[in-house]
Amino acid sequence: MLFEEWVKDDAKVILFDGGMGTEIFKRGIRPGKLPDLLNIEEPKVISDIHRAYFDAGSDMVQTNTFGSSFLNLKNYKLEERIVEINKNAIENARKICPERGLIVGDIGPSGHFKPPVGDATPDKWYESFLKQTEVLESGIDVWHIETISDIEEMKAAIMAIKKVSSKPIISSMTYKKTKRGFYTIMGNSLEECIHIQENEKVSVIGSNCTLGSFDMIELLREMKNLTEMPISIKPNAGKPHVDPDGKTYYEQPVEEFVDHIKNILELGVKIVGGCCGTTPITINGIYKLIQSLK
Amino acid sequence: MTDTKFYNEISEAIVNLNKEEALKLAQRAVSENMNLLEVIEKGYGDGIRRIGDLWEDGDFFLPELMLGGTIMQESLAVLLPYLKEHGDNLSSGTVVIATIEGDIHSIGKTIVATMLSANGYEVYDLGADIPAEKIIETAIEKKADVIGISALLTTTMFGQKKVIEMLESKGIRQNFKVILGGAPVTNSWVEESGADGYADNAIEAVKLVKELIKR
Repeated sequence: MLFEEWVKDDAKVILFDGGMGTEIFKRGIRPGKLPDLLNIEEPKVISDIHRAYFDAGSDMVQTNTFGSSFLNLKNYKLEERIVEINKNAIENARKICPERGLIVGDIGPSGHFKPPVGDATPDKWYESFLKQTEVLESGIDVWHIETISDIEEMKAAIMAIKKVSSKPIISSMTYKKTKRGFYTIMGNSLEECIHIQENEKVSVIGSNCTLGSFDMIELLREMKNLTEMPISIKPNAGKPHVDPDGKTYYEQPVEEFVDHIKNILELGVKIVGGCCGTTPITINGIYKLIQSLK
Repeated sequence: MTDTKFYNEISEAIVNLNKEEALKLAQRAVSENMNLLEVIEKGYGDGIRRIGDLWEDGDFFLPELMLGGTIMQESLAVLLPYLKEHGDNLSSGTVVIATIEGDIHSIGKTIVATMLSANGYEVYDLGADIPAEKIIETAIEKKADVIGISALLTTTMFGQKKVIEMLESKGIRQNFKVILGGAPVTNSWVEESGADGYADNAIEAVKLVKELIKR
């Protein structure tokens, strides 16, 4: 299969997509609630955003299902629509997917933490993710579990995928930089996370969100010291800035972001893309960079 | 045992997240008729401030922060009835806090509320998805010093500004300090919305409230 070919090909850097929120805004939509609901209410907007990323050079885009696990939908009293939301998300991506493009099933955090922060348990996480993976399995090529800050929750999500699927998994934790190194907000060290992800036999180990492009260079350097496995990096592009007329944009210039991605490519990654604040313009900048390095 | 040694023991119990010991020491302070305000400030308060430092240094994370905060709250619950008996007022100020309408992300807000109340503030946590009107109503009723409004999404953060605009139109903006929280909040948004400040995390939020109430 295509993804596995790409992973094996040392010369290939897989270009992922960028952020969704800013793009939704740009098209004049003010969701006010869960963006995943737009899979049903504004399917064309979501398809257009996916297409914009493929047009910008993405090899693969992820479904608009970051918040579509059972527990997270329940927060919005939308859990009964879990099948409909996830199915529509596949359809919105599938119908614009080019021949040599891939659809990635996106799994985000449940929004529930284990005690003493919340009352989640590994079983609750697993059951919640399973209800989502059962639906997504029918239409996606690769999995991406992302923005997870508790390695136990990551394990639950991986288990819920493996129960229904044998497709490749990219597993991305989100880290904060502390004086003692990189940790998740729940206190898992980078070393612990990588070790567990290796044991869980995912295809690619990644990191996304929280850190901007500059800090991700340092994170990647440490990751490379800890693992031989292929790595995926999706940094944020600074913090959002709000105009007096209510428009949101991100302050980091695209050129600077792409410059940092150059460092990231030099250190060696398999997959690169963007998280919050990145747009098709950012992704096209990375695309041109990758082409120029060939 | 000297008082200082006793305070240190309390502070250690908090930092070690030893709930049993923290509660036992609170009982002892009551039964030995100690100066409870000092016990809170020099013992428990010191402990919770050290937990804040450990968070900032990357030694403590969310679970330790929450556990420390709740042990602190439970210890204060032992002491407060006796303080009130003596007519002493512990409260350093009153805070009404909520996640704004349309946004169900309550974890960050809950952590801030826990840490504020662990630091001696009287906190009214209204929960998540709360309309601006309700927040203002409660702030008036509880005579709040500070209103804290949380929003995680760029799509809901405009609700924070709405609260401030409503306070202005009612002519009561000057009665409250308004602080914002949530991942998308920045200095420029604080300026744009007319708030008094924002904090990146719960420890920063405690510092901010302290600073604002002092002014």
